[in-house]
Amino acid sequence: MRETANLFFRLRVRWSAWEIIFWLAWAGAFFYPGINLALLGQVLIWGLFAMSLDLVLGYRGIPSLGHAAFFGIGAYTAGFLGKYGWTEPLSGLLAAGLVSGAVGLMTGRIVRGLYGVGLLMVTLGLNLLLYDFVDRSTKLTGGHDGLQDIVIAPVLGLFRFDMSGHTAYVYILIVTFILFFGVRALVNSAWGLSLIGARDNSRRMTMLGAPVAGDLTWAFGISAFVAGVAGALLTQTTQFASPEMMSFQRSADLLVVLVIGGTAMLYGGFFGALVYVVLRDQLAALNPIYWYFWIGLLLVLIVTFFRTGILPTASQFWIRLTAHQSKRNKLPGSTSL
Amino acid sequence: MEVKLLMKAAVIALSCGLLTVAPVSAQETVKVGMLISYSGISASAGIASDNVLKMFQKKYGSEPGGKKIEFIRRDTTGPNPEVARRMAQELIVREKVQVILGPDFTPNVLAIAPLVTEGKVPAIITGAATRGIVGEKSPYYLRTFFSIPQSVRPMAQWAAKNDIKKVVIVIADYGPGQDAEQTFTKTFTEAGGVITGVIKVPVRNSEFSGYMQKIKDSGADAAFVFMPIGELSLGFLKAYADAGLKNTKLKLLSTGDVTDESTLDASGDAALGVISVGHYSPTHPAATNQAFVKSYLAEFDKTPRLGFAQVTMWDALQVLYAGLEAQRGQKFDPDKFIASVKGKQFDSPRGPISLDKTTGDIIQNAYIRKVERIGGVLQNVEFETIKDVPAQ
Amino acid sequence: MVFLTTLFNGLAYGFLLFIMAVGLSVTMGMMRFVNLAHVSLCMLGGYVMVTAMERFDIPFLATLPLAFLITGLFSIALERLVLRFFYGTDDLTQVLLSIGLVFMSISTIAYFFGPEYKPVSVPVWLTGQIDISGLTLERYRIFLVCVGVILTLLILFGVERTRFGAMVRACVDNPRVASGSGLNMQVIFAMTFAVGGGLAGLGGALSASLLGLDPNFPFRYLVYMLIVVSVGGMGTIVGTLIAALAIGVADVCTKYYFPAAGGSIIYIFTVAVMLWRPQGLMGRKLGHA
Repeated sequence: MRETANLFFRLRVRWSAWEIIFWLAWAGAFFYPGINLALLGQVLIWGLFAMSLDLVLGYRGIPSLGHAAFFGIGAYTAGFLGKYGWTEPLSGLLAAGLVSGAVGLMTGRIVRGLYGVGLLMVTLGLNLLLYDFVDRSTKLTGGHDGLQDIVIAPVLGLFRFDMSGHTAYVYILIVTFILFFGVRALVNSAWGLSLIGARDNSRRMTMLGAPVAGDLTWAFGISAFVAGVAGALLTQTTQFASPEMMSFQRSADLLVVLVIGGTAMLYGGFFGALVYVVLRDQLAALNPIYWYFWIGLLLVLIVTFFRTGILPTASQFWIRLTAHQSKRNKLPGSTSL
Repeated sequence: MEVKLLMKAAVIALSCGLLTVAPVSAQETVKVGMLISYSGISASAGIASDNVLKMFQKKYGSEPGGKKIEFIRRDTTGPNPEVARRMAQELIVREKVQVILGPDFTPNVLAIAPLVTEGKVPAIITGAATRGIVGEKSPYYLRTFFSIPQSVRPMAQWAAKNDIKKVVIVIADYGPGQDAEQTFTKTFTEAGGVITGVIKVPVRNSEFSGYMQKIKDSGADAAFVFMPIGELSLGFLKAYADAGLKNTKLKLLSTGDVTDESTLDASGDAALGVISVGHYSPTHPAATNQAFVKSYLAEFDKTPRLGFAQVTMWDALQVLYAGLEAQRGQKFDPDKFIASVKGKQFDSPRGPISLDKTTGDIIQNAYIRKVERIGGVLQNVEFETIKDVPAQ
Repeated sequence: MVFLTTLFNGLAYGFLLFIMAVGLSVTMGMMRFVNLAHVSLCMLGGYVMVTAMERFDIPFLATLPLAFLITGLFSIALERLVLRFFYGTDDLTQVLLSIGLVFMSISTIAYFFGPEYKPVSVPVWLTGQIDISGLTLERYRIFLVCVGVILTLLILFGVERTRFGAMVRACVDNPRVASGSGLNMQVIFAMTFAVGGGLAGLGGALSASLLGLDPNFPFRYLVYMLIVVSVGGMGTIVGTLIAALAIGVADVCTKYYFPAAGGSIIYIFTVAVMLWRPQGLMGRKLGHA
């Protein structure tokens, strides 16, 4: 029994070739001549942020309309540290994540009993409250104009965050990968399974003895930790923090990013971020005033034709294609997860 | 999990390809980045700038100092420091621009300051009014916009000189608003006046009746208002008129943002009689302005309506051309550029302006104006001039 | 004295929010359909009114029913052509669909009408103030309150006393049984959507003078709509009314009496209500998620 269980988990956690290619591509992008590292860095941060929401939305089924709050808390924590003398980036990152994670645990505790519209409104309301507070407290947080004079020391004392964005990109990529690795392991563990179970049928999980409520709180906490680190990454690489980082606009954009890519996949967030950020840039360049129309249309089309998100739909299409082919070749078809 | 990633790898490779598309820079071309809002709340400023660029190049050609100019546009999308920084990085690192016109909005200015300094790229601020950002944040910043003390101090002094003893201050509750409140209070009280109270309005606000009631309660001779250009100013004016405050003996004093030409038409009669302090009105009688207004209207009419946004960009272009002209025959040098334009005077449609010798901030006239209807159109009509107000 | 005036101003604002939001509440409660594009319908009504007055010289009062009709017709078209394919999908899909529609509406309006604010002029007899028993009240707000009260009575009468109202109530309470009893759900949905959308347009037209009209209207009021509907309780008319009035009054009063709190009072109120009663003040207790 134990051997089967171990084998099961080991198989779940095994890295596929495509995943390795994915991460190598990001690493390789660094060396590609003339590449827009600033843009790709932004995509990674959004992807990390979306992954944090995925944990709560995709794997636990809780729609949160206020996740930007955690992003912003992490961003401002890193900002305050940088502004008031603690300029070491790595510890600043950790601190930001922990503060944000703590707030996440509290939030998880608060929203435990809620569902549906009530939950959406509470997360939204809390987000708006935080934004309002930060926006107006000019003396404390720099207010609407944002937090300035943030100083971040070179990473490991060697790599300065310079104008070209090289240090920033590598820093973001490594941190993102480490967190991704951690969340991936978590999601493929027994704890991750109970989370998915609670998403699909929480009553049954309770009957099985799983601590559903406690798991939810921890899911929020971990998700907030990751979101906080994403926010801190942004602040540290740009030496700037502004209330916009915790705005409702960002929460809404995040939802769009994740759903475009596909939920409950971890990679969906990165894909959605890539599409969203690149598309927004390209569309804005073409017709800056009216790009909302095209983004809106894209959303409508995605929701109509790619119900589960681009990535799952595309992959299912691919699977059906290869299954079809392999049937013809009389070979066992490849199966999905 | 596996096969789905094929898509991702392909897309990444594709995007990498897409993203590398960058124009090759020629040798004798000077690249100038236009880093302003072409979308979002300030989209009309983007259109205004494009118009002015066309007009300027028609008049002054496109080869100042014997160098070809290439303008590269990037959209800050409004007060969006994250985007502004990335765009600035693109302009400075990838496109290798030598001068930037912009940015707009204080958060953007603050966010890209380190880039501008490190990249040694002179940037002419066209849309941020916070005090001190020019000299302090980067030696490469210049400004053709205005600064809040530059507007507010003359207003306070005018009020003190014109029989106004008690003032209630109404501001939008954010940095520039608080800045305006401090400047007005200091200047007005030093001149012997009394501030009866300060009313702070949230930046995102649609319903003003509570604030109007407070103004009524204040018992002041005048209300001094600072609101950002746009919906807040519009809403305030309408609510002010609706609440019947225009029929009281209360005078309404404001900065030019409240009566800015971009929202003046929409304000309608509510704006009539408002006394404001501003730096440009299309009705300014000087000859330079008459010619400027004439050619603008002939080509662009009211899309968008001629106002401070156009003049700011026009003057930024004057600074740009002057700086390039001073380096005729030489390779572009950013430090020489800054040195050549600091302390220089320019004949602007708004009146004479100059850039401060030390900070590069703008020194310009302030005008006290009143909103009147001329030929069926609402205009800010200047009736008093305060010369050469420094930016600090 | 001042308190009564402030209270009255708050009620006027509240009635405005109610008229704009009631359609959303009913469609969300009845069709379980999260239609955020509702706020675009409000905007449409505003632009219909402005165009009618500017281009066709139609007097203000006549533009109101016109805004109601045109927006109502547009709502039916929207429902039949786009929305009905998404009934029964999950909340998130509907949210994203309607957000996409909102984005498209903003750009379309900006394209046809320009991105700036539209000047709105109401007839002279609605401007200025009037003294009523010692209180100085704005005429336009008095008008709003009157229209609000009349509409509320009409809606309540329509829902409680007419056959159609009974059918709507049945569909809100229990769609399956209602359809099992032989009610034509498609027609009822479409009609309800039309009326709800029409009311949104009417609300938008009424709000244009008080709150300003520009293509970014949906971004500003989406959150307010959501708050009113969720605090009041989806599918309830009285609940929406109470929530709208409470929020209107709370907003105006706190700005006068506790200005330091700014707009955050509303959010605190929303969070508090949602934590206490997630189904809204008068909403029906929902089944387990």
